[in-house]
Amino acid sequence: MRNGTTLFLLAVTLLAFAACPPAPGAAPAALEPTDSGAPSAIVIFPVGAKANPKAAAMQPVTFNHVVHEKWMERTGKDCIVCHHTGDAVACTTCHTQEGKLEGAHITLYDAMHATKIAPRTDTKPASCVSCHSQQITQRDCAGCHTTLVRNARNEAWCTVCHTVTRSMTAEDMQQGIAGTLPERRNEQLATETELSRKMVTYWKATKAPQKVVIDSLAGKYEPCVFNHKSHVLSLMGRITENKLASAFHTEPATLCVTCHHNSPASATPPKCASCHSPTIDPATPQRPALMAAFHLQCMSCHKDMKVARPRNTDCTTCHKLRAPERAANQAN
Amino acid sequence: MNRRKFLTILGRAGVGSALGSSKGAEASPACFPYYPDSWGVLHDTTRCIGCRRCEAACQKVNNLPEPKVPFTDLSVTEKKRHTTAYEWTVVNKYEVNGKPYFRKLQCFHCNDPACASACFARCFSKLPNGAVVYDGSQCVGCRYCMVACPFYVPGFQYDLAWDPLVQKCTFCEPRLKEGKLPGCVEACPVDAITFGRRSDLIKIARARMAENPGRYVDYLYGEYDAGGTAWMVLAPAAGGAPVPVDDPQGAGTEFKQLGLDTHLGSQPMGQLTYGALGAVPMIVAFWPVLFGGAWAMTKRREAMAKLEQEKIIKDAKDDLAAAVDAAVRKIGETEGEGAAERARQAMTEALKAREAQNSGDGHGEEK
Repeated sequence: MRNGTTLFLLAVTLLAFAACPPAPGAAPAALEPTDSGAPSAIVIFPVGAKANPKAAAMQPVTFNHVVHEKWMERTGKDCIVCHHTGDAVACTTCHTQEGKLEGAHITLYDAMHATKIAPRTDTKPASCVSCHSQQITQRDCAGCHTTLVRNARNEAWCTVCHTVTRSMTAEDMQQGIAGTLPERRNEQLATETELSRKMVTYWKATKAPQKVVIDSLAGKYEPCVFNHKSHVLSLMGRITENKLASAFHTEPATLCVTCHHNSPASATPPKCASCHSPTIDPATPQRPALMAAFHLQCMSCHKDMKVARPRNTDCTTCHKLRAPERAANQAN
Repeated sequence: MNRRKFLTILGRAGVGSALGSSKGAEASPACFPYYPDSWGVLHDTTRCIGCRRCEAACQKVNNLPEPKVPFTDLSVTEKKRHTTAYEWTVVNKYEVNGKPYFRKLQCFHCNDPACASACFARCFSKLPNGAVVYDGSQCVGCRYCMVACPFYVPGFQYDLAWDPLVQKCTFCEPRLKEGKLPGCVEACPVDAITFGRRSDLIKIARARMAENPGRYVDYLYGEYDAGGTAWMVLAPAAGGAPVPVDDPQGAGTEFKQLGLDTHLGSQPMGQLTYGALGAVPMIVAFWPVLFGGAWAMTKRREAMAKLEQEKIIKDAKDDLAAAVDAAVRKIGETEGEGAAERARQAMTEALKAREAQNSGDGHGEEK
């Protein structure tokens, strides 16, 4: 947004809008304005050159400009990350469903979803998916997202972004695809969608047990007393303010199913030993045995979240040696 | 049958007998894949924490001597230790792309083991359950198996003066027979070593690579290396670094950094030597015949040559005697009996003198 002309044009447009009295009955509460003066939220339609009389296309994406702008500010990044040409124009100016010469024939789909972006001499652009999938590598997210959770590329994943208010008419869609939807209507739809978005409320840690005694394998060591509550609170505390996490964690039990995996989300999940037998089952050799299941879960999360202690080989921090062994050790 | 034909047949018989003795006979003459239901172990180095529990379990279940350094001392993993006759498995620490990883060393239990191919006493055998086992009753202590092993696994009881044996991981063969897991597998607290059918383990390894992009090098060590091994290794990936194109195995340097040789090729080591080593028993059996025959032939040729020579000499002598007789008869007719007798005497003496001179000079007889 360092382009004088664009700024001027935006200012003029805004002034024009300000001068017009708002249409009665169609004015929802407004989003916070952006610093750059760009619309606070926009709907990105699957713009295409081909005739599409029935407007058959993917649900458009509602893009919250304010949230992204704030994140850029916080992380010291520039508008050029997304507006990679340096001009603050809409993505669909160059990237359409079919691809255009101006956009190096990169389709809208690729521009938004590509994760392997070739290096180039000028600014390397980021797609929505490439940037978002980078976010899960940060420490707060890495515990679950490095090893334990693999992002499902399913319907629920698509609709987090591909969502628009129900008040969008077929006509709006047609105009949007043709690229002729008035900016004001677009902003109106986007604002409505964004204001109706409901962030997930995670289950409270108090619903779950405070301490879990893991004693099914206790033999050489005493049972492990696992502080369930502090683990949940710690993980939750890191992401409650994270809008990206809240958007994609669509279920109140999303956090729970990292550890309580492969079974339907529930407040009373099955025990680990329900599936993980104490010794490896020849019928399912890919499934870790019970002891390995515990260790792999705990250690991989601690490693990925850079929790320095305890060391992987420091057994007695989590489970104390049983008395006879302890006595024998002291004698040595 | 001439000599060339004989040697050709001998060579063929040697190769044939070698293949007959190898386990590859039923499968294919080129490479033995593996016993279809054999067991294997998948070692996931991204899981291993270097706790040495496997070493302790190995020592316990195999009644090996107590180590000098207790198993609770993890500092020994810093050294690049090797398996020995009394430590059948060791865990070492390796730097892979700057990060510490651990790898367990033990016998890989090759599908077509090099140790077995090198042993002329037939001490090693690959069992259908996957284990490569050693029976020392015929061992002569030549240690060819130690030289042949591409993984430097077998150890020798150098400390024993009387009947030292080669020792290595047995895949806990006695335990497998009882339906138990190998000691190390049972002891691993993180399933860094997964026991299963080799065919299943290959699928599990591929599934782990697919489900965890960027975590593993896209190569399963031991699937084909050295003709395939029962124990296979997964290596941590560098994180998107390209695989060097000049690496014939397609693996990057991660396996090298883990101390694994990526240039063993996909043929069993034995393929290099089966032809030659298979001929050894044949040579032992046929060399006396072969060289005895050659010796007899040479002797006979010499005898024949001598006979022929003697015959020529005799003929020449006869001719000379006849010529002397003819000359004496002629002298007798013309000059009387007395002159003839003198001439004969003179000629005989002259011939004798010449013969003596010739034999004295060492030249052959000259007439």
